[in-house]
Amino acid sequence: MNPAIRQTVALARRSINSTFRFPQAWFPSLFFPLVLMAIFTASFGRSAASIPGFPHVDGFLSFAVTGAIVQGVLISAVGAGAFFAGDIEGGFFDRLASSPASRSAILVSRLCASVLLAAGQATFFLLIALVFGATVQGGVVGALIVIVLAALLAIPIGGLGVLLALRTGSAEAVQGMFPLFFALMFFSSTFFPRETMTGWFKIVADINPISHLVEGMRVQVIHGVDWQAAGTSLAIILVLAVLTVGGSAINLRRRLEGDS
Amino acid sequence: MTDAIVVEGLVREFKGGILAVDGIDLHVRAGEVYGFLGPNGAGKSTTVRMLTTLLRPTGGRATVAGFDVVHDAASVRRAIGVALQDAAIDPFMTGRELLRLQAVLHAIPRQEGHARAEELLERVGLTDAADRRVGTYSGGMRRRLDLALALVHEPVVLFLDEPTTGLDPTSRVALWEEVRRLNRESGTTVFLTTQYLEEADQLAGRVGIIDGGKIVAEGTPTELKTSVGDPTLMITPADPSRVGDTAEVLAQFGPAADGKPGAIAVRLAAGAEGIVQVVRALDEADIATAAIDLHQPTLDDVFVIKTGHRLEGDASAAPGSGRRRGRGSKVGR
Repeated sequence: MNPAIRQTVALARRSINSTFRFPQAWFPSLFFPLVLMAIFTASFGRSAASIPGFPHVDGFLSFAVTGAIVQGVLISAVGAGAFFAGDIEGGFFDRLASSPASRSAILVSRLCASVLLAAGQATFFLLIALVFGATVQGGVVGALIVIVLAALLAIPIGGLGVLLALRTGSAEAVQGMFPLFFALMFFSSTFFPRETMTGWFKIVADINPISHLVEGMRVQVIHGVDWQAAGTSLAIILVLAVLTVGGSAINLRRRLEGDS
Repeated sequence: MTDAIVVEGLVREFKGGILAVDGIDLHVRAGEVYGFLGPNGAGKSTTVRMLTTLLRPTGGRATVAGFDVVHDAASVRRAIGVALQDAAIDPFMTGRELLRLQAVLHAIPRQEGHARAEELLERVGLTDAADRRVGTYSGGMRRRLDLALALVHEPVVLFLDEPTTGLDPTSRVALWEEVRRLNRESGTTVFLTTQYLEEADQLAGRVGIIDGGKIVAEGTPTELKTSVGDPTLMITPADPSRVGDTAEVLAQFGPAADGKPGAIAVRLAAGAEGIVQVVRALDEADIATAAIDLHQPTLDDVFVIKTGHRLEGDASAAPGSGRRRGRGSKVGR
């Protein structure tokens, strides 16, 4: 096998193993979205249908599950950034940098690990929602679209986490960015449809790319397979990925040259 | 044989004009153990980071194993083994996993990498702990694993950055023995930084003393010690009233030195061998001695004379030595 590919696989496996061995690293990314999903479903489950503009859904849980998935991917991708920063702080990064390992394997392995973890997370949330009575209108294909998009979403968000890690070299600083991500999610249609919003809030949510991203995933669950919406989500993910992964690559090079 | 490490006018300036390394020259021969001795912040780690391709020099040049550290960094990385001072190991991985991963990083074929991992675990005495997470290892075990990791690809040049800082005396001696054995059996060139004089004295064939980013002295431990002067001989006469007579006898062997009360000290111009003549002269003068103390200059004396200050953080006075570059053992996960 090509050494660079072998190194990427080995390092990605290491990232996944170390994540699983440290419950603080994965527990929040499963727990918090579940809690929020449960609270929203309990609070709005009955009244949602009567809110003017709320789309027709087969139970609020079906509506809420994509928001939970996106939130989970976000939390774990921030965790991935913090993990990467921990490698820089702890010196593991120096071990990689002083070895002849492929430079791109360092970055790509981290993103691959995040993609796989996100796919697992999305599957987990969908299964939980199905158990509690949600339905996926798009069927197996719709569910797969959601899982694939969630997995790909880990690339731009994980890339942003790594970018912050490379710039700050501090896990705490990366964790500190978390509220910002959260605000970005709240000022979007992640948890409520834009149709129910008014005024400046709606304007912000309209502009926020996260809204369109989430909606492209959600429609697969609440209406049925919609390739065009999936394409919009994919396009948003790709644009964000180019920006954050590109930024990471530039900063990785800078750090490897020791100009930090 | 070419030099394993050649450094010419190497400079590293950090933002704000701080010169961490201020134009150093070094030649480390192949097969040599070179000790780089200096206090915290002297520029030792910065030098090692430049030689291991982790940091770009801002001036001068350096080659390791014949390859330029800037223009041929990839070749340098293939030739070197690196154990940095923080024992950079992921606490959630096991010793065996880390060794296998390190083998992959060096593109060693799978079977060979696995065999090499077992061999090294055995060698550093970690076979029983191989499947335990590194987070549960003691400081000595971590250092031994770190050393094993640096050896996975049988490097030509091994860099050890403060390999025994924070270790208990037993673990320290065990690690020294391993480094000696490695150098003896495999002929690996070792570049070792330390803030422990004893470590440099014990391990290094040659020592460079760095202070304030500059090399202030270089040579074998013996050369360096000799350069600061002759050994001091201190005689305590059995009869305190004969101190004056003792001083008269000793005066012919060299200039007087500071001694304890009731004793006379002299710098032996003839070196340590001169002690025989001194004892004979004392015997002829019929002066019985209660104690004879010979003090050879130590690297500590060398350090004080060359730099004007003591090596902080050495041996017993070590508690403050943990503070360095703010990259402690914190695992920010």
